[in-house]
Amino acid sequence: MRFILYIFLIASTLMAQQVDKTVPLDAWKTLSYVNAAKNADELPNALLTLNHASYVGLHNTPKVNYISVPTNEGGTVSYGGMFQIHIQASGTYRVALANTSWIDMIQNAKVAKSIAHQGGPKGSGIKKMVDYKLEAGEYTLQLSAGADSTTALMIVKLD
Amino acid sequence: MSLYKVFFLCVASFLLLTDLNAQSLQAISDIQKARVELGRYLFYNADLSINGTMSCATCHEQKRGFADGNTMHPGALGDPAKRNVPGLANVGSFKNLTWANNQLNNLAQHALIPIRGTEPVEMGMNGYEDEIAKRLEPSSCYQELFRSAFPKREGAINLDTITLALETFQKTLISNNSLYDQTQKKKISLPTQEARSGEKLFFTKAKCASCHPAPLFSDDSFHYVAQKDSINVNSVEDNGLFDVTNDSRDKNFFRTPSLRNVTLSAPYWHNGSAKTLQEAIVKHSVILDNDLTAQEIEDLIAFLETLTDNSFVRNAHFSKPSKRCQ
Repeated sequence: MRFILYIFLIASTLMAQQVDKTVPLDAWKTLSYVNAAKNADELPNALLTLNHASYVGLHNTPKVNYISVPTNEGGTVSYGGMFQIHIQASGTYRVALANTSWIDMIQNAKVAKSIAHQGGPKGSGIKKMVDYKLEAGEYTLQLSAGADSTTALMIVKLD
Repeated sequence: MSLYKVFFLCVASFLLLTDLNAQSLQAISDIQKARVELGRYLFYNADLSINGTMSCATCHEQKRGFADGNTMHPGALGDPAKRNVPGLANVGSFKNLTWANNQLNNLAQHALIPIRGTEPVEMGMNGYEDEIAKRLEPSSCYQELFRSAFPKREGAINLDTITLALETFQKTLISNNSLYDQTQKKKISLPTQEARSGEKLFFTKAKCASCHPAPLFSDDSFHYVAQKDSINVNSVEDNGLFDVTNDSRDKNFFRTPSLRNVTLSAPYWHNGSAKTLQEAIVKHSVILDNDLTAQEIEDLIAFLETLTDNSFVRNAHFSKPSKRCQ
């Protein structure tokens, strides 16, 4: 099943038309697997790399102990998880996601306010893109209320 | 029996009845409180949707006056939406619920529209209604909440008790403490010249109050919307009230939305086609024939800003419960 999803994502992204040429979404074409953390202890093993797409494994929501209560927490039949990312420089960042899970970007227990959100370029396989102005530092990215146990995720620097 | 004993018995009976009445009222009050609390938990519970991805609060965000920041919000399974998400301020005072339906009598019935409606599919539970109880029943927290809220029904968890609790919670969503309300109570003027001019325009030349009268800032009635925008090709065909009544005279009739907290709930119009308040006001000029100058529109917006009730959008009693119910 996972293999089929890999193929689907890679195929759909290869066929994608890049609508917004200013957005560096090329990295979406290469995926590496990351399992989401279920709790704070597992976060160091759920590292995301900037400008690299990850095929991520999520957990059934009741099994996830989020470090911050999600803005939109899913029901018992939904999926979610947490990831860690190091932001080296202040700037505008975009989280691209292959499903419509709720995204919370957290630093020091504070949820970053998004500055824009939109769907992905047609045919890209990206369902949702949310932009944030972030300062340099360590962030926890929480996904919640997702319909699927797996999805693809990428964070890119816009400016 | 002596007169003294009769008097004593009367007083004792009166006190007993008064006490029983007080106890009874207290019990009702406790049950109402428990229903509000349960309704609040359910409002924020995504298990009311087919795949657990969507709660009432997903589209009705408190910070936006319980409206939504999207043109239209797709359903839990990605089905296209039909209309822009309306706010819920003072929803308990409306007799007509949703954008265009005169056949919904109460908020409990209304809750079924998103939960199991099919035109459009929102939370996607049509045919899967029993699944909600199956998801909630294993939770000792929910068992306790339902027992407290529905003691006579022995805490039954079903669509009936769920929607009744949602109704009770939504009736508490009262917004009446905006700057406009405060100045009305104190019988003083609005603080800025623009807002005062806007207020005057609103209730006179601009004719806004003819459909948006205070205090609801809606007349709770249906009106013809002149232009039928088709801004979203993915949206479901929308003929307004006609879709419910099948009466051709109702085509493109929509209920007047409340303007309370309107500055927080862009975009506007039943289809979200007006991105800004300015656009929404200009759209009305076709209907009202009230050509307004740019300054007059700015003044109207300044007045509409005074309808923002910060105590409503920050009221902790309406927020997502901080404790998980498991």
